[in-house]
Amino acid sequence: MSEESIISIKNVTKRFPVGDGEFTALREINLEFTTGEFSGLIGPSGSGKTTLLNIMGTLDSPTEGEAIVMGKSVSKLTHRESAMVRNMHLGFIFQVYNLLPIYTVYENVEFSLLLQNRSAAERKQMVMDALEWVGLQDMANKKPSKLSGGEGQRVAIARAMVKRPDIVLADEPTANLDAKNAHAIIQTMKKLNREMNTTFVFSTHDEKVMGYLDRIISLEDGKVIKDEWVEAKFSIS
Amino acid sequence: MKLAFILAFKNLIGAGLRTWLNVGILSFAFVLIIFYNGLLDGWNEQARRDTIDWEIGQGQLHFSSYDPYDPFTILDGHGVIPSAEREGMIPILLRQGTIYPKGRMISALIKGIDVNQTELKLPTHLLRESEAQIPVLIGKRMAKNSNLSVGDEVLMRWRDKNGTYDASGITVAGIFDCNVSMIDQGQLWMDIEKLREITGLTNHATLFITTDMESKSVKNWNYFSQEELLSDLTQMIEMKKTSSSILYGLLLAIALLAIFDTQVLSIFRRQKEIGTYIALGMTRMRVVGLFTVEGSMYSFLATIVGCIYGVPLFLYLAKTGIGMPDANQEMGIVIAERVFPVYGIGLIISTVILVVISATIVSFIPARKIAKMNPVDAIKGKIQ
Ligand SMILES: Nc1ncnc2c1ncn2[C@@H]1O[C@H](COP(=O)(O)OP(=O)(O)OP(=O)(O)O)[C@@H](O)[C@H]1O
Ligand SMILES: [Mg+2]
Repeated sequence: MSEESIISIKNVTKRFPVGDGEFTALREINLEFTTGEFSGLIGPSGSGKTTLLNIMGTLDSPTEGEAIVMGKSVSKLTHRESAMVRNMHLGFIFQVYNLLPIYTVYENVEFSLLLQNRSAAERKQMVMDALEWVGLQDMANKKPSKLSGGEGQRVAIARAMVKRPDIVLADEPTANLDAKNAHAIIQTMKKLNREMNTTFVFSTHDEKVMGYLDRIISLEDGKVIKDEWVEAKFSIS
Repeated sequence: MKLAFILAFKNLIGAGLRTWLNVGILSFAFVLIIFYNGLLDGWNEQARRDTIDWEIGQGQLHFSSYDPYDPFTILDGHGVIPSAEREGMIPILLRQGTIYPKGRMISALIKGIDVNQTELKLPTHLLRESEAQIPVLIGKRMAKNSNLSVGDEVLMRWRDKNGTYDASGITVAGIFDCNVSMIDQGQLWMDIEKLREITGLTNHATLFITTDMESKSVKNWNYFSQEELLSDLTQMIEMKKTSSSILYGLLLAIALLAIFDTQVLSIFRRQKEIGTYIALGMTRMRVVGLFTVEGSMYSFLATIVGCIYGVPLFLYLAKTGIGMPDANQEMGIVIAERVFPVYGIGLIISTVILVVISATIVSFIPARKIAKMNPVDAIKGKIQ
């Protein structure tokens, strides 16, 4: 594992305007993430996990402080530049899978590659590889509405992984899954993390997920109250 | 851009019935615009041709005090052109008269014309060939009004140059059928030489029809080019086009409103999709472009669908023509019993462009909202 810093959160504060005043969702957060980490943000509802992930994903920017992702300061990126960073370097996995309903599984996974203007042959190879990682080669032509929850989330993983991103940000990826599927999903991700050295950052309430993490960062009221490296409880075969 | 088209197409097909409804209305607007314009163009073309062939020739020379819109000028609106200058022109002399078919009294405009002319389609050879003392030609409308048929004799009364009444029997030598009611309704055509003789107006004419397009300048006579003489007709068609453009403006507005509505709704309903596109690395402007293309795609589909049912319809109508009610002809409008629509490439292309551009604009207006969306809220589907 390389020790290179891939995400660096420096004194980040995030406030949202609410009514007349403001709500502080993150308070002076300082965190470093290195390449290949498999870490998670935990904490009660409203503690700021999603807000922090969104900033790391260049979908939002800090009110104060600086977030540096892949060497670029998030608040200084133009729309075009942040779209480029997301397209080339970041993969997202959401709690609700956010698959595009009118596209087939194959097309959903292919989408980022279309944005990258890759050739048809290259796209096909990459999509089939990604579907193989998540064990859904046979579902390529199905519509998302025909999939079970576990399958849907696996498609979402394939979609995030297909472009071989540097970082995958997964916001409560197992919240809608049963235990068996949750384990399967997280194991798939851990395997990809090991094989490709992709950095994963989760947000989760799920004990099962926590059992696989190498590092657990606890948030409360927008503050980091604990940040520790742990021995993973579950391992992958 | 190509990607936007592929995605837009998939999205539209995926949206099913709603898409086809919008496409249906739009294509209907589209087909109707082309149909109606084609009808007017066809009418215009036929009416111009008929008017030139039957009434105005290549141009006309009117005696200065003669005004075709004022029947009172007929009495004194005539003169003589020296023979050297009237080379190649067909003289027409107008006189007021009355006929008495079966005891009825019908006032008629008597028109004397050179029986050897070939410029107008008027069958003047029938006058030349007739053995009757005063043969006349009448149009089918006049024949119907006066209840006269070929060979019938009827009494005609007129005034000579001194204002004295005179009367004689005339014989119908032929009935012609043409769409130009201006040379038919209430008119009798006869040999100009005979008319000059019975009125004492030797060598006089009210107007001359020229056989070439060259402008003539003769003292006391006014020259009117073919285009000037057709200007009434041109204006009427233009007016029809303008008034009908209100109709298709309205129709198009309804179709565009439907697209606008669909766009607003789909942008609202598809927030998560929009957020996902942004998360996957599309810029907001690219998503705006995607939705705009999607909306303008309605116009492409409408063009295709419009062609599918429009082209056979247009071809059929262009071949068989469309029957026109008689009422139009009675009103002095030059219109054939069957009008054959003419569909110009220019008309079709400009209609397609109009529809595509307006559909693109109404799709872009709601899509602009996407640029201001917060992707985080969009992903959660939280925007109200
Ligand atoms: N756009 C916003 N405007 C106002 N307040 C917001 C906004 N986004 C988040 N918040 C608030 O910030 C706080 C942190 O929200 P966040 O979604 O990051 O929490 P979370 O830790 O992900 O919670 P959960 O476990 O429920 O997902 C919450 O109290 C939330 O209400
Ligand atoms: Mg959250």
